[in-house]
Parts: sequence; structure tokens; C-alpha cells
Amino acid sequence: MNTITRNAIIALGITLLIVGTIVYTVHYINQQRLSEINTMQTQLSTDTLSLETQFALLENAPCQDISSDTVFSHGLSTLGDKLAFAEGRLGSRDQQVIELKKEYALLEIRDYLLIQKLSTTCHITPVTVLYFYSNTGDCSSCDRAGYALSYMRKTYPRIRVYSFDYHLDLGALKTLIEVKKIKPTLPAFVIQRKRFYGFTSLARLEKEFPKDLFATSTATSTGSQK
Amino acid sequence: MWGPNTITYVSFFIALYFESFLLVTFLSEPARKRRLTERNSNTAPSVAIIVPCFNEENTIASTTESLLKLEYPKENLSIILVDDGSTDNTANVMARYARHPRIFIHTKENGGKHTALNAGIRIAKDADIIGCLDADSFVEPDALGFAITAFDRPEVMATTSAMSVHAPKNLIQHMQYAEYIFGITMRHILSSMNSLYVTPGPFSLYRMEVFKKIGYFSHGYQTEDMEMALRMQKAHMLIENSPRVRVYTKAPSTITALIKQRMRWTSGFLRNMLFEYRGLIGNPRYGVLGIGVLPLSIFSIITVAGLFLFSVFQIISNMIHMFIVSRGIPLSYILTPHTFDWFYFPITTLLLVGIVLMSMTIIFMIIGKQISRTPGKLTKSTASYILLYWIISPIWLVRAIADTITNTHHTWR
Repeated sequence: MNTITRNAIIALGITLLIVGTIVYTVHYINQQRLSEINTMQTQLSTDTLSLETQFALLENAPCQDISSDTVFSHGLSTLGDKLAFAEGRLGSRDQQVIELKKEYALLEIRDYLLIQKLSTTCHITPVTVLYFYSNTGDCSSCDRAGYALSYMRKTYPRIRVYSFDYHLDLGALKTLIEVKKIKPTLPAFVIQRKRFYGFTSLARLEKEFPKDLFATSTATSTGSQK
Repeated sequence: MWGPNTITYVSFFIALYFESFLLVTFLSEPARKRRLTERNSNTAPSVAIIVPCFNEENTIASTTESLLKLEYPKENLSIILVDDGSTDNTANVMARYARHPRIFIHTKENGGKHTALNAGIRIAKDADIIGCLDADSFVEPDALGFAITAFDRPEVMATTSAMSVHAPKNLIQHMQYAEYIFGITMRHILSSMNSLYVTPGPFSLYRMEVFKKIGYFSHGYQTEDMEMALRMQKAHMLIENSPRVRVYTKAPSTITALIKQRMRWTSGFLRNMLFEYRGLIGNPRYGVLGIGVLPLSIFSIITVAGLFLFSVFQIISNMIHMFIVSRGIPLSYILTPHTFDWFYFPITTLLLVGIVLMSMTIIFMIIGKQISRTPGKLTKSTASYILLYWIISPIWLVRAIADTITNTHHTWR
């Protein structure tokens, strides 16, 4: 074997080693990301359960210790952002991403139900938005709608946005879609129990929100919690 | 299947493989032996150095002075200044050296650099070795001694030097300084596999028999040095490199001048390869040059240009998408920076491969500086290179491809 052939083989070995290390590193980092999301979901799940239990324990006078601006809601939106990023990196068909999305959707539904209960019992008036989107190419204005909702969520902390992948194969989500009678015309919104389809502009979307939201909320760009 | 992403991954893999191959070759014996060769002062064949000039009034004196300082037996060295019909003060500057016993001045009508070189070769008909030095370049006093040592091996037909940028001042020149230093290592490694396809204007030396066997310089699509090297390779002549032969050249100081120079080089390469020397591409008879260096050079020009255009398209598309998505949202929100979180740091395979490639390039630069002992600091130049090269170089590649396809020719300057 001459020197050039030997060098070519050694170089191929080095290249494969470098590429292998890089692929492993990227895979490891992605797994760490998913693991972080998983940990956050477990924490939020515990928080939800705690809140539900707290609510049950204080059945007679629950409202004095529960406020609508819990840390829970903020954690849920942060988790949603991270999950969307992971989905962008790993693809919407990644099995781990799909499982995490299902768990996240369940958490959102539980939080939504709890908030409904709180608003009835404790006369708290959060502004809830159920937002149904799709990543499968059948929703041309979902990007715009998602961005507009992110802006509203961060500007008006009273708003709680619950985002759902309309096509996610999850029984609870399908039931929610059925109960709320959501047609597959996406994007779809349920703002304060009122259905609304399509997105044309932020101004048009804002009209669907209660007027007192804009009158009583201080618009901020940081979306800080009380 | 062969979308831009696949092409990017394949290109990065090939680039990584090629750089690894070069690194391994650098460490292997043939290259090691070459760079450890010491100067042999026992041999001193007769040498004629030709300096072709066209409007070089500002640099020709310094170039000539550097040649006069060469440490070489005076009786065996002659300097031939060829004025290729300059319209500035070059002739008057040259006239200062008219009475120098080792300098011959020849004035002719303008006919292009190759004609000036050929005129010089005809004057130096008794020389054993012909050296060529661009009129904007300067040599170190020990350069010729080291260069001549390469000809101790009778099979060596030409030798190239270690070029670097003379006194870089602005960022564009610093970027080129780093690029040239990188080039020193490249030439050193490629020469160990006889894969050089350019004998650059700044100080390349040839045995006189090269011209007798394969002819004089030709126009070569304004890249006569490349055409000559390719012709030599086609004739299976060995082209050596001497990393200790230091020569400094003036580099373009503006982006426009740089792009124009590089368009000439790149389109010259493409035209020579596609129209004159296509038979070398992929031909195992020409060793690593035929099956590796030339195909990869063409592949890299086309892919870098293609991926650059695709990236520009992607950036514009993303900007339009972002504009559409954020339409109606207050600017104060859009422009507010998000809180930094490592979670969102975009660590991708391509980013990491890019970092490895850039690190290897920097290692090659450090090696180039070490083996040539070129003065100057690399830090600022490397930073300029990392910052600017990837933005500027695709521009000349794209334009050179366009010129080649449309058969557009530009003037030298």
C-alpha cells in the first residue's frame, strides 16, 4: 500500500470519527433538551395535582389562597415554547416529541379545566384562549396567529393561551374538540367560550377579546407576573 | 433527495475528509522530508529572473532592490526587467538600473503578461533556471538559495514559493494575509503529492528545459501561471514547493479590486479546466491531482457558489416570512431581545462540522506560518478571515461561474 492510499484510509477513519462524535453530541444535546422538557412536565404535573388537591381541600373557602396569577401558567407557556423549539429541531414526526406533546396537551387541558373551576367558584376572570393549529400544511396563517397570540400573552398577562395541535392523536384532545365543536378550519380559537376561525390581523383578533382586558391591563413587552 | 440540505451535508463531509487527508499527508514522511530540507549552498546554476511590468511605477524599484539583495553568486544571477508597454513612469524608474551589470531592461509593445515573460525567456536563453517575479512582489535575501535547493533533485522541473501579503493594513488585506498563509501549507502538502496546478507569478522557478519541451507561456485565459502548471502536469513534470522561499506580494486593498482579481483567477481556472485540460479531471494517470484535487476544486467552486445563492434566497425568504408573520405587531415587541437560554442555542451538526473545519483551517494557518517562518501576527488576520472570507469569496465564485458560462471577459485591472 503506498503512502497516499494509506493516508486516504487514515483520513477517512478520522473523518468518520469526527462526524460520529458530532452526530453523537448533537443527539445527546437533543436528548438533554427532551429530558429538560420531561422534567418540566413532571414538575408542572405535580403542581397541577397540588393545585387540584388544594382546591379540593379548601372546598368551602378555596378562593382566599388561590389567585389566578400562579407561577403555573408562566411555566406552562415556557414549556410550550421549548416544546415548539424541540419539535422544530427534531421534526413533528419524532416519537419522543409526539409523546411529550401529548403530555403537554393533557397538562393544558387539566389547567384549563382548573381555571374554569376557579373562575366560577372564586369569581376570578382570566381570559382563556384555546388555540388549535396544525403543522401539516393545512393552515397557512397559523404562523401569524401563533405569533400574534405570543405577543398578546406577553403583553397582557391576564390572557392564558392553550395551544393544541389539532391533529394530535390524543383521546382527551379529541373530546375537547368535540365538546367545543371545533371544525377543522384552522386556525381555530375559543376565546372566552366563543368560537372563532381564521386569522387576518392582530386588530381583528383583538376584537374577539373582552374590552376590559385592554382597559385594565397594562401593556408590557415582558409579560411579567405579579 | 438531492436538495440543498443533502448537498450541504455532502459538501461538509467532503471538505472535512479533504482537510483530514491534508493533515495526515502533512504528517507523513514525504512532506516531512521536504520541509526539513536545508539550504544547499554548494550548487549555484545560472539563474535569470524575469520581472514583467505593466504600469508598476510604485513597486518596480522595491521589487528590483529585493532581487539585488538576493544571497546568490553574482556571476550566476541576472535580472531581466521587461516593460510591457507601460503608460506611466515605469520606464523612467527602470532606467535607473540601466547601467547595473546584472540587470537587463527590455521594452516592448503591450501584449500581455505572458508575452513579457516570453520576451524575458528569449533574452535569458543561456540560463539554466528561469525565475518569474511579479513586479509588485518582493523576495527575502535567502529565497533564491532555498529555491535552487529544490532543483538538486533532477526530476524537479519547477518550484513554487511561500507567498504572503506585504504589510497588510486594512481588514481586507489582513483577511488575505491569513488566506495566503493557509495557502503556504496547502502548497507544501499538495507538492508532496505533485498536485500543484499553479506556479504563481510571485517567484516561481523553472528549468529552462521546461520551455524547450512544452513551449513558452500562453495567454491561458489571463492565468498564464496556472496554464503553464497544468501544461507541465499534463506532461508529467514534477512541480515542487519550497516553504522556506519567502516572497511578499501586494494584495488588493478594496473589496472591488479583490473580487476583480479573484474573478480572473477563478474564471481562468474554470476555463483552463473545462476548455483546455478537461482530460486531467478524474484521470488516475495524474494521481491525486487528477482524481482528487482538480475535481474537488471544481466541485467546491460550484457548491460554494450554489449554497451561497441558496443561503441568500433563504435569508430573503425568511425575512419576507418574518415580515408577513409579524405584520401588525408593534415593533417594540418584535425588536425586544429574548432572554438568553442555552436551551435555544442552535447546536446543529452543520454548525459543529463548520467549527471543526474552521479550527482545522486555523491549524493550517499556524502551520504555514511556522514552516515558512513568515513574519507578522496571525491573530487580527485570522479574525478578519473568519469574519469576512465566507461572505466575500462566494461573490467572486458566483461571478466567475457566470462569466465562464456567458463567455464574458474582463480587463486585467
